[in-house]
Amino acid sequence: MNTNNNVYTVLYTALIVVVVAALLAFVSQSLKGRQDANEKAETISQMLTAAQFGSKAEFQKIGNAAVLQKYADEIAEAYTVNLAGEKVADLPQGEVFSPKLLKRQNYNIKGGANATGEPEIPVFVFKDGTTVVPIYGAGLWGPVWGYVAFEKGSSTIKGAYFDHESETAGLGAKIKDDPDFQASFTGKQAAFDKTPVFQIVKGAEGGLADNQIDAITGATMTSQGLDAAINTWFAAYAKFFLNNAPKQDCCGGEGCEGDHENCEKHEETEE
Amino acid sequence: MNAKLKETILNPIFKGNPITVLVLGICSSLAVTVTLKGALVMALSVIVVCGISSLILSLLRNTIPGRVRIIVQLVVVAMMVILVDQILKSFEATYAIDKQLSVYIGLIITNCIVMGRIEAFALGNKPWPSFLDGVANGAGYGLILLIVAFFRELLGSGTLFGIDILNRFGYVPNNLVILPPFALILLGCIVWVQRSIQKDLQEK
Repeated sequence: MNTNNNVYTVLYTALIVVVVAALLAFVSQSLKGRQDANEKAETISQMLTAAQFGSKAEFQKIGNAAVLQKYADEIAEAYTVNLAGEKVADLPQGEVFSPKLLKRQNYNIKGGANATGEPEIPVFVFKDGTTVVPIYGAGLWGPVWGYVAFEKGSSTIKGAYFDHESETAGLGAKIKDDPDFQASFTGKQAAFDKTPVFQIVKGAEGGLADNQIDAITGATMTSQGLDAAINTWFAAYAKFFLNNAPKQDCCGGEGCEGDHENCEKHEETEE
Repeated sequence: MNAKLKETILNPIFKGNPITVLVLGICSSLAVTVTLKGALVMALSVIVVCGISSLILSLLRNTIPGRVRIIVQLVVVAMMVILVDQILKSFEATYAIDKQLSVYIGLIITNCIVMGRIEAFALGNKPWPSFLDGVANGAGYGLILLIVAFFRELLGSGTLFGIDILNRFGYVPNNLVILPPFALILLGCIVWVQRSIQKDLQEK
């Protein structure tokens, strides 16, 4: 057989490609359910880690089923909000936002050609009052995302967990791998009434403000990407958090500068 | 088993090791050897990809048009890599490892060992020896990976397969060992040891 014939060559390559494509499509479809289940458990364990229900390693050890159970035990409500901070819809029972959905909402927040509609971003409230919100953005090599947990009814950060697709191991990857970096968020304040809401700063010599943390040495681009991601998303959640701030903070009469607007809103809703 | 087949299997493990002698697959051996578990999964993945791609291409070897043979090889290897990646993602036990290895599973496609053995061996030999050659080369690669990972996890994290070995004795993990340059130093030492044993590798 002459295998160097042009027609043979074209038909042969076409056949190989079609066979391989069909096989891969079939495998991908049949394994999709399992992969999605793994991804969901991973997302949930990241949120639980941010909310300080345990460490990521512990959740990995106890397995998917136990992670889902823990989430079901602890979650109070999960819903989406719009930029005005108003509740849009409840999330279906046990559903979470995968990084893919976060990516779509990230486009919606930023607007532009990739936007598919108005942002509807998720809020997860646990039974102890801890509120977890996601963030999503671009690192150096690929997307970075994560979850930030706030103390009940306040803008004090309780904990955070970040993940990435392909940041440099040992440098940018520290946003995920370095517990000290994630721990440095705990106790910080998100200044929802200011811009920027939160800052990851390099070499803070004069000490760090309440809404600042130290960047990662040698990972300037990843730190900047995470900073941008956090600010984009925190700004989108700003109204939500300001609306939900405890009333004595804004309506107590003292030290309530800049919050009068929310004050009025509260009164309006009460009438 | 005849002598030639034995040689096919044993040669890549030591005498003609793909990493230390052929110096192929260096990139991933620096990247995925921080933990033994990661190295083991990577090694098994490469063995599977290498073995089965060699087998498939050896079966097809008389039908492949000569002018597009590299493309055909690439398609088959890529298919195997994607299959391995998809399967690793599907099981709870391997999902975390797959996440940790991230792009490096996908990058097996560019691992010169796979394409190198197909081009040099599988296209000129019968399926069974080709399969063994692929598996043996994967194993030779995996062996070096495990040796490097053993030292890096032990000295860099004080653990082996995640089990605490040195930390209980007050060992402070060495961060240099975690960084890729140390893997290169270790690889250099392994090549040094091999060349001292195997004198015919030394340049005059």
